[in-house]
Amino acid sequence: MEPPILTLTDIDMSFGGAPALRRASLRVLPGEVHGLVGENGAGKSTLINIATGLFRPDGGVMEVAGEAVRLGSPPDAAKLGISVVHQEADLFSQLSIAENMLLARGLVRGPAGLIDWPGTYREAERMAGVLGEELDVRRQAGGLTVARRMMAEIAAAVGGGAARVLFLDEPTASLTQNESAHLFEQVRRLRDAGVGIVYVSHRLDEVLEICDRITVMRDGHTVETRPAGDCTVDSLVAAMVGREMHLETGPRGGSEGEVRLEVTGASGSGGAFRDVSLQVRAGEVLGLYGFVGAGRSELAQALFGLEPLAAGSATIDGAPLRAGSPREAVDAGLAYLPEDRLVQGVFRTHPLRTNASVAILRRLSRFGLVRGGREREQTRSIIDEMRVRSTSMEQAIGTLSGGNQQKVVFGRWSATNPKVLILDEPTRGVDVGAKAEIHRLIRDLARAGTAVLLISSDLPEVMALSDRVSTMSQGRITGTFDPVKDGEKAIASAAVPRASGADSGTEARATNGRATDGRGTNGSATGGDTAAKGGRLPAMRELGIVAFIVALAVVMTALKPGEFATRQNLVDILANAAMPAIVAQGAILIICAGGIDISVGSVLGLCSAVAATAARGGAPPALCLGLAMGLGCAAGALNAATSLLARIHPIIVTLAGISIYRGLLVTFTGGKDIQELPHAYRMLADGNLLGVPKVVIYVLVITFVAHLVLTRTLAGRRVLALGGSETAARLIGLSKARLTLFVFGVSGLLVGLTAVLDTAYYGSVQANTGEGMEMKAIAAAVIGGTNIMGGRGSALGGLLGAFLVAMVYNALVLLAVSSFWQNLFVGLLILLAVTSDTLLRRKGAAR
Amino acid sequence: MIRRLLRSREAILLLVLIALFAVLAVKVEGFFDAYNLLERTRYWVAPGLLAAAMTFVIATGGIDLSVASVLALCGIVMGMRRRDAGWPMPAAAGAALAAGLAAGAANGAVISRIQVPPLVVTLATMSLFRGAAMGLSQAKAIGDFPPGFLWLGQGSLCKVPGTGANPADLPVPLVILLAVYALAWALMHRSWVGRFTELIGENETAARFAAIDVRRLKFALYASVGLLCGFAALLHTAIYATAKADTAAGMELEAITCVVVGGTRISGGHASIVGTLLGLAILGILRFGLEMAGVSSQNIIILVGIVLVATAIINERLGRSAVR
Repeated sequence: MEPPILTLTDIDMSFGGAPALRRASLRVLPGEVHGLVGENGAGKSTLINIATGLFRPDGGVMEVAGEAVRLGSPPDAAKLGISVVHQEADLFSQLSIAENMLLARGLVRGPAGLIDWPGTYREAERMAGVLGEELDVRRQAGGLTVARRMMAEIAAAVGGGAARVLFLDEPTASLTQNESAHLFEQVRRLRDAGVGIVYVSHRLDEVLEICDRITVMRDGHTVETRPAGDCTVDSLVAAMVGREMHLETGPRGGSEGEVRLEVTGASGSGGAFRDVSLQVRAGEVLGLYGFVGAGRSELAQALFGLEPLAAGSATIDGAPLRAGSPREAVDAGLAYLPEDRLVQGVFRTHPLRTNASVAILRRLSRFGLVRGGREREQTRSIIDEMRVRSTSMEQAIGTLSGGNQQKVVFGRWSATNPKVLILDEPTRGVDVGAKAEIHRLIRDLARAGTAVLLISSDLPEVMALSDRVSTMSQGRITGTFDPVKDGEKAIASAAVPRASGADSGTEARATNGRATDGRGTNGSATGGDTAAKGGRLPAMRELGIVAFIVALAVVMTALKPGEFATRQNLVDILANAAMPAIVAQGAILIICAGGIDISVGSVLGLCSAVAATAARGGAPPALCLGLAMGLGCAAGALNAATSLLARIHPIIVTLAGISIYRGLLVTFTGGKDIQELPHAYRMLADGNLLGVPKVVIYVLVITFVAHLVLTRTLAGRRVLALGGSETAARLIGLSKARLTLFVFGVSGLLVGLTAVLDTAYYGSVQANTGEGMEMKAIAAAVIGGTNIMGGRGSALGGLLGAFLVAMVYNALVLLAVSSFWQNLFVGLLILLAVTSDTLLRRKGAAR
Repeated sequence: MIRRLLRSREAILLLVLIALFAVLAVKVEGFFDAYNLLERTRYWVAPGLLAAAMTFVIATGGIDLSVASVLALCGIVMGMRRRDAGWPMPAAAGAALAAGLAAGAANGAVISRIQVPPLVVTLATMSLFRGAAMGLSQAKAIGDFPPGFLWLGQGSLCKVPGTGANPADLPVPLVILLAVYALAWALMHRSWVGRFTELIGENETAARFAAIDVRRLKFALYASVGLLCGFAALLHTAIYATAKADTAAGMELEAITCVVVGGTRISGGHASIVGTLLGLAILGILRFGLEMAGVSSQNIIILVGIVLVATAIINERLGRSAVR
């Protein structure tokens, strides 16, 4: 047998005192597919994260090809040929596929270190070719199906040629059958090429099919490693839970009661489910079985009023259920236990009491005031009924185990005495004991007359609890069964998605959490990716601004012919646009990274005062410039560092900065104006060069450089990546701290430069120099198409935006609108730009 | 019990307040004077009201940078209704409240309907409302308010017994401020509204899934904040006897500082009205003491900013070790 390529020995790891791994060990051989199975919380993810450099273990040894290694970050692991492909491939949806593939591993660079895009695309195509995949690597990653994204990630992981170990974390969770088959083909191909593949999955039949050896984890231990041939689903389950598990089959309530929930011809607005009809009777448990992405949760959420129904209707006890909001649904007698406990269920740092009482809190109140005694009483009875194990009802729910948390959320809903209760994966990620108790509670509720709709992907659970089972696949109900008579096989096969399904908008919608387009795929591995429209958007934006500018110019020429269309007026507009345009380039960089700096106006004033004072004191212009830029850079870096240290949004830090830097300015100048600057200094910005005002030339040069930085440098692309998705950026080892310092620092340099140009051009500094500059710069940025949420920005757009703002100001002056209204217009421009941006993006996402 | 109390944020703030008070009383001449101190509290009222409103906004994980601008706008609307349109004072005050409500509702609509982040919306409207105030008034101050109205800001309810030879007056606006805080406390800590506010800040998705009407609550919240800004504008105008478009500049920062110092989590989820009130008192006393000691107002503004940032850093460092 060959020596292992990756060995993890006795790995210990704990989070805040709770052990996640206890002496866990894993040996991966080259050219094998190694299964890693275990219940949720058994420690699989932690082990992967340690092996791929995201976490540092508390103890234990990691060896790659026999050599002990210590990983500091994911890129360290990548250098050793160890990569991971996650279930929800967290890509930068705004960047191209090629860039996603190569950002962490090195974009192809040409002369002067600038990114060579054609070369990068060729390299990405070559990597995809290694897998025999054809990918349009120029396309935006956001529009891809999950399967295609995963292939892109695998191609990126192995395409460099140095891949030794590849972790696949729940790769098939959101794939159709054909897509899974295609994936298996690729996995086998890689195995034959000598790569060690660690295959993590809950789908034990798949694990048995594809893996050569299997390691089972339980409670942070690696329990056993055996050849797949020696394992069966039963033996794996037994090893995972520590004992043979028998689900108790309780007495069935029967289907004799009145119909409580009736759904007729319901279709979801996003196409996630279509023409669904079902009935649940009093005292009945209707199991709704299907795979992830079948549209079950979407159906439940639409009934619960979280999403609108596109067609169809529902009734509860004969009364129409027209839930426009969850509150109306609850009032109608419906309750919904959501599937994702951490995101949709619990309020983690709030006490158990708050979590338990939230759904009945208004009922427990009088004149709006919560009656504390009754709240505690109710909470106590929920704790008792659900057998929640806790020390006190004031304990933060986040400190309870997953099973106990789930019981509290269950109790929250059963306390509303619902007529109809929808349970969405009620036992996912809970321990065996809690699972049995939740099953008991479900039966008790049904026995008391509640109609229960049980959504579950756990077939034994569905079989054990349901009176009837409906299967759902690709958004449609595909059959209704009697669990006793029809048996597991019939139910399981009815739930399997059909690859030929003509209308599976479902898959793409349900699984591409971040996808921009819901039109979906035809379900096959080669299926149609959705076209990326994003690439064209920025260019259209810039054309739109130009059109607006031209229109405004035409109107102004018509209104004020003798004043607007003059050379002097044009020069004025350009000069007034120039300073905000330069500051805007820094603002764009910061906003692209997901930040904002509203102290730039004050910093500009401070830098102006320092530079002007130095100039009057006889310092050469170059020194003044250096002083101002250094000071600006320091202020920016200080803002960034403070925001990072305090972990508060930079807008709050820089809000404080507005008064701090302005205060320093006034202290520095003693409140007096600075005037009569030396001629040499004034000549930095005053006057013309080749018949064009100098400042205009500066602006053009700076915009061009900023454009290059954003589109052609590694730093710029990293900034965009960070602003696009902070989690994904962390996974590829980008340092948020360094990039944040970088963008704020660069912005500070530009502010310092602008300060010198401003004082040189206008020849004086007042206490209010620079005031309002931050708003003009931000307006220029967002008008120019920079996404205020980060991840997208355009230097050229910023220049046009600054010009537009200056033109609007100029128009106001010419039309004799008093300058006191200016702030209103700049605020209005920002609001309009951001609002229309948000609406357009939402429209794009809904399409 | 005592140990738990000592570990609470409010107890620490109270100790800081007492210590600060003691130091200033010993070190700064003329500071420890009941009459001056109580008179001084009139200037806390406007930032105090904004801070109370801000506590709710920050509890939801939002922010409202436009509060000071709304206050200025409401003052101008009131002054102009009275001076130019000749409205009686109560009607003009009603116009100010209506303007505040409208401004807040505009914020709330864009935030809760169109779902633009509050940070961006209120940054834009901070400029927009200030511009409206400047434009409407052409940056001229409006004065000449009737004595009955000025009483709201400058009047006193009674003499405070036991304050020596120069007995201190109990300022009307201070009483109003404390009444508002009592209401805010009940709303935040004893009503379902406050509970839901905190839960939205803790986990907005879970709040929606728990059948909390997040959109409606957020809209109502920002609208109410606007209304409270309008109310603050009444008192603020009465205290200074003039309405000015550039008044209360930077007051949003003061309000945020009080909230953050008071221990409300800046990312939302946990709030303390008592903490905000203590934060207001600490900041107010610090400011008064420094002014008495002859520190320039510019340097005091710098200090307010530094207090905000420093507390935020301390919160972050301490918060990580605590259970939450």
